Amino acid sequence: MPTVAANIRRGRLTPLGWGGLIFGALIMVAPLLWTLLLSLKNNSELVGHSGAALHGPYTFENYVAIFGNSLTTRWLLNSAIVALGQTAGVLILASLAGYAFARLEFPFRRTLFVIVLLGLAVPSQAVILPQHELFAWLHLHNSYPGLILPGLVAPFGVFFMTTYMRGIPRELDEAAMLDGASRWTIFWKVIVPLTIPAQSTLAVFTFLGAWNDYWWPLISATRSDMYTLTVGLAAAQMNYAQTSGLGYLMAQAVFASIPIFIVYIVFQKQIVRAMAGAALQ
Amino acid sequence: MNRIAAALLLILALASCAQRDNKTHLYLQRFFGECGAEYGGNIDVAHAQGECGIITTLVNRFNAQNPDIHIDVNVVAWPGYPQLTAQMAARDPPDLVTMHEGVISDYALKGLLEPVDSYLAKAGISPNDFTDASRLGVTIGAHEYGLPWDTHGGLFHVNTALFAKAGLMRDGKPVFPNSAAELMAQAHQFEQRTGKPYLIQSLVGDPAGAARNLYTYMMAQGAVLFPDPHHIKLNTPKGVEVATFFRDINVQHLGTRNMDTPAAIAAFINGEGGIYPTGTWMIGSFEQEAETPGRPLYKSYAVFPYPRLWGKRVEYVSGHSWVVPMRKRTPKQREAIARFFKFMAAHNYDWARTGHIPAFKSVLADPRFMALPHRSDIAPLAAMGRQLPPYVQRQSAIEGLVGEEAAAAFTGQKSVPQALADAERRVDELLGHLD
Amino acid sequence: MTAARDWRGLLFALPFLALYALILIFPLMRGVWLSLNQVDLFGDGHFVGFGNYARLLHDPVFGTSLVNTFEVTLMIVPPLTVIALFLALALNRAGKGAAIIRGIFFSSAVLSVTIVTLIWRFILAPDAGLLGEAWKTFGWQPLPFLSDEHLVLPALALTTIWWSLGFPMLLFLAGLQQIPEDMYEAAALDHSSRWTTFWRITLPSLRRTLVLVVMLQTAAQLQLFGQSQLLTAGGPSGASRTAVLFLFEAAFGRWELGYASAAAEILFLIILAVTITQYWATGRATGADGGR
Repeated sequence: MPTVAANIRRGRLTPLGWGGLIFGALIMVAPLLWTLLLSLKNNSELVGHSGAALHGPYTFENYVAIFGNSLTTRWLLNSAIVALGQTAGVLILASLAGYAFARLEFPFRRTLFVIVLLGLAVPSQAVILPQHELFAWLHLHNSYPGLILPGLVAPFGVFFMTTYMRGIPRELDEAAMLDGASRWTIFWKVIVPLTIPAQSTLAVFTFLGAWNDYWWPLISATRSDMYTLTVGLAAAQMNYAQTSGLGYLMAQAVFASIPIFIVYIVFQKQIVRAMAGAALQ
Repeated sequence: MNRIAAALLLILALASCAQRDNKTHLYLQRFFGECGAEYGGNIDVAHAQGECGIITTLVNRFNAQNPDIHIDVNVVAWPGYPQLTAQMAARDPPDLVTMHEGVISDYALKGLLEPVDSYLAKAGISPNDFTDASRLGVTIGAHEYGLPWDTHGGLFHVNTALFAKAGLMRDGKPVFPNSAAELMAQAHQFEQRTGKPYLIQSLVGDPAGAARNLYTYMMAQGAVLFPDPHHIKLNTPKGVEVATFFRDINVQHLGTRNMDTPAAIAAFINGEGGIYPTGTWMIGSFEQEAETPGRPLYKSYAVFPYPRLWGKRVEYVSGHSWVVPMRKRTPKQREAIARFFKFMAAHNYDWARTGHIPAFKSVLADPRFMALPHRSDIAPLAAMGRQLPPYVQRQSAIEGLVGEEAAAAFTGQKSVPQALADAERRVDELLGHLD
Repeated sequence: MTAARDWRGLLFALPFLALYALILIFPLMRGVWLSLNQVDLFGDGHFVGFGNYARLLHDPVFGTSLVNTFEVTLMIVPPLTVIALFLALALNRAGKGAAIIRGIFFSSAVLSVTIVTLIWRFILAPDAGLLGEAWKTFGWQPLPFLSDEHLVLPALALTTIWWSLGFPMLLFLAGLQQIPEDMYEAAALDHSSRWTTFWRITLPSLRRTLVLVVMLQTAAQLQLFGQSQLLTAGGPSGASRTAVLFLFEAAFGRWELGYASAAAEILFLIILAVTITQYWATGRATGADGGR
């Protein structure tokens, strides 16, 4: 006999429910399809007639133009390095710190944790200028470390890993401790493997944020061979881009979103599983 | 894992390798977009189109003609000032930068730009060669702070088919008003005969446009907008008159109200109104429409500077220029900058094909320039053009503040005196806090 | 545990804390110092004490920007939370169909703010937008979303909700998967209706997720910036200028570094106060049934 729980979790949604969902999904997806169609149109055809996107002829010329720019692949590479570097860095730092805050006792633990949480309330625009000044002193502008480092101090990662690790039964590491394992061994051999789902979630969101970041790379990477994709594509536009190069702009949007979309699809299952841990502890 | 790390290190190493050659390198930073795909190594300036195409081929050509110099180009997102400011703060500015003339004073008064008098002298360029508008735009006190490159400002872009329908064409030219009252009368006539708005306006998200209208017609009446470096005067009888006039246009439904710039451009292209006051930079796009059979603008496009509505025939304009940020340079680099100036001055005609007004008197008189479409109609802008006094700092921020309040006055969100008083208060506060 | 061992625990947190101190706390402190000075981007400046703060209190533009920020946050967070929760409930099921729809509802979250605003301009602009066209087919006058001072904040809220649905939806989905099956089985034995089950079991079990979503979203939306800058430039007449846009304009547009820093500190304190209040209020309201 199917239980109510099964009914809620796997059971049938009424046709009305499905209808509503599909309607909502259409609302969500319509602007994206619109973007895709615009990206496949000749630019001058769109000046003053964006409705022209609803019918042919369609063309790949905007995508060809993106790749025709010799620097595009370089920007793609820079974005990948920065996003992957930031993701790796956040995972390492946040896991270590999360473990410390969730499991270990040390002086000022609570105070330090609260100080980290305060960071959630700091608007990034509020610190961007002093940060720029700092990185100028350290001669880190126009370099990969300069692009990666500011993203590593996001407090959300630490908060997320701490709550997730608190949800892991203490019996597991206490058993390991009785076997004489060091803190480091417990962290590396017991805790980290258990947090893989959380790591993937954090990875996806860090990657997403790093990939789409605009203001920091804009003022830190001022040499075009160090641009990330977001900055490079913005610079490639003419000054009144919204009016003259609409198709090109939309092609850029599609092009820049593809890598993240792939990341999401690959990690979709882990993300949902991982959120569970963090959200409920 | 290790392999990835090794690959990353390799990339880092490659990235930090600068080219070494015997050339003198100049680092040029500009906006106008990136079009290497189309114009990569092209030096055929005469056949390049658009701002991006022309500037790209010009730089390519300079590199080709000067084998001992190489210009490294850095394209930034328009307008590029956050980056430039960041570079200056990090003490690593480029050698040559595109700059709007209204912004020069901000940097020059802080000692962040080199006066370019010596480069001009070496290049054989005299400030007397500049048009009035251009010369005013780059001069602060006794020094020039940039090589002017164009004048750009507002123009009345006209749909002549609708003007004809409204009975407002004479000898193939649109009839323009010569006073505010005349404009109102013509606008009503236009509205009655065509059923369409006389003015297409971008009043949404376009403070520059609103500020341009207010500045232009206050200047025409001889108003002194900035009596000193720390004050603006807008809430005066003249200011109220101009703002009330633009408000009346909206109250009497003679202009569109809810459009932003792209919407207004689309409306003009689709023949939905008589005049669209916007910049020189749109001439190319509109001319293309005018040459395409079947389009609403086909053979129905003309363009002129703002008409005289009060007092003198002047107009608030801006311009692009090339400036040289302050930093240590070798004599060879200085020599290279002078040669670049000479080259760019010699090719000012090519740039004028973008639709902008040339910065040199000789180009204005050049038959090639006058033969370009509409250029004889818009050339007066070079003499009419007025900029804000050079002692006024933060002109672009001020334009934003004034434009926001002016638009509120034009659309009726605030009363005219209230909006103008608010603009004065905000600008004075900004200027009052400058050292 | 010995004291030495205690300090060793800190070693794990140290790499993060060191960077955090250097790259976030130090600039934040420097910001506090700058806020006490009248200084532009290149000048040395001079100490003015609380002068910048006093000036802010009397600056109606700043006041309006704060009010706008609160309004838009209130317009975003409750609907966003409810919609995301509803979606999670509906989509918490196996099957290809649900997976595809989940993907669709998440898809907007991968876009950068530049692209989001570009797309939404086309939807909201009254003369050319999709919404305007739809309105016209019903014979209504298109609403001037971006130029009417009363419609512009709802328009920003709508854009933001569309953009931000994915993350809270995933959080709720995850929360739902943690609810033990046997709780539902017990409810089934009682012949509880779906509504009763939702109110008695699902919602209480999602309490922590709910708190997390509301707190994170509130903190995020109080920092709303790109949508306002790119879609409306803060207009019309400042009706959509948010606090972060205000401080951005002050810093990058007018070079008023000290003034912008003071605005940033005030905003920081406000966000902090709001977050702590939320935490405290929800902690008290639900404190009875424990949790850690």
